[in-house]
Amino acid sequence: MGRFSLRWRVALALGLGSVLLTSAVAVAIWNLTSGYMLRQREQSAVRQAEVNVRLVAEALRNDSDGLNELLTGLTTGPDSTVLLFQGGQVLTSGRQVDAQVLPRRLVDLGRAGTPASQRLVVDGIPVLAVTLPIESTDGAYVELAPLVQLDRTFRFLSGLLVAVTVISGLLGVVLGSWASRRALRPLTELTKAASRIAGGDLRARLPAQTDPDLTPLAATFNSTADALEQRVRRDARFAGDVSHELRSPLTTMVNAAEVLRRRRVEVPGTAGRALDLLTSEVDRFARMVVDLLEISRADQQAEDPTLETIDLGSLVRNVVAARPGEQAPVHAQDPSPQVLGDRRRLDRAVSNLLDNAERHAGGVLRVTVFSCEGQARIEVDDAGPGVPPELRDRIFDRFDRGARAGSRGADTGSGLGLALVAQHVQRHGGTVRVEDRPGGGARFVVEIPEADG
Amino acid sequence: MEFSVLLVEDDEHIRQALGLALDDEGFAVHDAVSGEEALALLGTATFDVVLLDLMLPGVDGLEVCRLLRARGDLPIIIVTARADAADVIAGLEAGADDYVTKPLVASVLAARIRALLRRRGGGRQDEVIRIGQLEIRPDVGTVHRSGSEVHVTRTEFRLLVELASAGGRIVTREQLLQRVWGYDYFGDTRLLDVHIRRLRRKVEENPDEPTLVVTVRGAGYRMDV
Repeated sequence: MGRFSLRWRVALALGLGSVLLTSAVAVAIWNLTSGYMLRQREQSAVRQAEVNVRLVAEALRNDSDGLNELLTGLTTGPDSTVLLFQGGQVLTSGRQVDAQVLPRRLVDLGRAGTPASQRLVVDGIPVLAVTLPIESTDGAYVELAPLVQLDRTFRFLSGLLVAVTVISGLLGVVLGSWASRRALRPLTELTKAASRIAGGDLRARLPAQTDPDLTPLAATFNSTADALEQRVRRDARFAGDVSHELRSPLTTMVNAAEVLRRRRVEVPGTAGRALDLLTSEVDRFARMVVDLLEISRADQQAEDPTLETIDLGSLVRNVVAARPGEQAPVHAQDPSPQVLGDRRRLDRAVSNLLDNAERHAGGVLRVTVFSCEGQARIEVDDAGPGVPPELRDRIFDRFDRGARAGSRGADTGSGLGLALVAQHVQRHGGTVRVEDRPGGGARFVVEIPEADG
Repeated sequence: MEFSVLLVEDDEHIRQALGLALDDEGFAVHDAVSGEEALALLGTATFDVVLLDLMLPGVDGLEVCRLLRARGDLPIIIVTARADAADVIAGLEAGADDYVTKPLVASVLAARIRALLRRRGGGRQDEVIRIGQLEIRPDVGTVHRSGSEVHVTRTEFRLLVELASAGGRIVTREQLLQRVWGYDYFGDTRLLDVHIRRLRRKVEENPDEPTLVVTVRGAGYRMDV
């Protein structure tokens, strides 16, 4: 049963049940009605024939000449036929029918003095044949009463019953589908809420349910989500608190390191080399804490109060222009794409991508800004060896040193730069990924939905 | 010329380390451990700039900032450990000219102090700029509205002159941040937003519906001549 969804199974079961029930009722109606009507018709035909046969017997007894006229008069309509078997002779009146088509047994019953009746189809017309013996002779009187009217009624009735059965089956399917959808709606909501949570929206909850069957489900789901949200927030706050507490000692350390660095020449030899190590690590440590603070702040702040329309082309140009050293070429489409965003975060994201290219991939070759199918796109091409496919997702994880593993030089970053890029871009509803640059090297691609209008 | 700096910081180690490093950068550093001490010192001596920690025992940094701003336009740079938007905005609203977040490096701080204290260069120093009912005199650094003087801080004044001397053209956020704060720290909209708000409160008829300093969405600001 795995091929059909629960909804379809319920719908089909209800449809099938409904067909069975209706068809049973239809068969009963059919049997009762058709039997009754046929009996009625038979009785009236037999009664009529009995009256007629008395007249015919009378006429035969009197050897009247008017037998033919009488027979003609006895036919009730164009489709009825009267046959008189007498000796080897057959007298026919009304619709002409070959006496051979009548079953022999029927005629013989009449001749033998037993009244009988049988339904037949004669020349395409359904008829009721009534055979009666004629008193005083060994002949038989046969009257064929047409059943066209009755047949039509039966056909209409049967058609009606079949139609009702089919319709009730369909109604059953529709009703079943509707009812199961209604019953499954809370499940759909549950799926939506769960996928929102999986997508990072920790505040997704199920609406309060009035149905006693569903209340426990919603309550359990919501309390689980509450617990998860609290847990995530607590973790984020902890990281934030730790970094925060590190700020004061770090301020002392970086400034003391700066004083020492200025007096580097006064410290020769081993102590001097140790001093170099110390001061450069202090700087790295400071960068790490600053990035950690930024990332935990972004974790905690759900709302973004400072959204504005930003021209992505000029933003990228500004970021590139503000960097020391040789400037990478920027190619921005004109008019350049506009996005709704937080300027500081986007600056940081672009800046981190440029840092990454300079630190780990031999520098930035070019930066391209253009719009593509409703998405504003920034491409940062670098001169490095590229990123192997298996590392492409990982390099955006926090503290993942991916391709750089084992090659920690003097100037490694905080390990959070690309994670921050991913986080800031996601906050704008966008994505960041790395691909191969045509001609070697890596291309970091940021896509952010364009602002309307 | 050696600038004198008052460093208000309650953390002993930071005070010492930052004092040494700023001294290396060529500033004459004096320090205070609390808001009360800072206010007392400022009553007796003059400084070129105040570096103010926001979290102080006793009178807190925001209050000191407000009191100092009420006394005059002495440049104030806030030193904060909390980089939350609300915190920074509160400091700027209290009248600070700039802010830095810990861990800060003395060289960066020195660059900002110099930018803040630097005289505006370039031409048109002696020209009087008139816009609407405003009269700006760059040579003496005064602003008059309908004949009466408006008190603006040095930073607000520089911002106003930058906008006014653009002759009705749009001045982008980046240009303003660079020219007024002399710092390529593009992107921080809060600093500029709060200063524009402060400026509007002083020069506009109705600061909620500005007619002089106009926001150009997605681009920057403009001052219609």
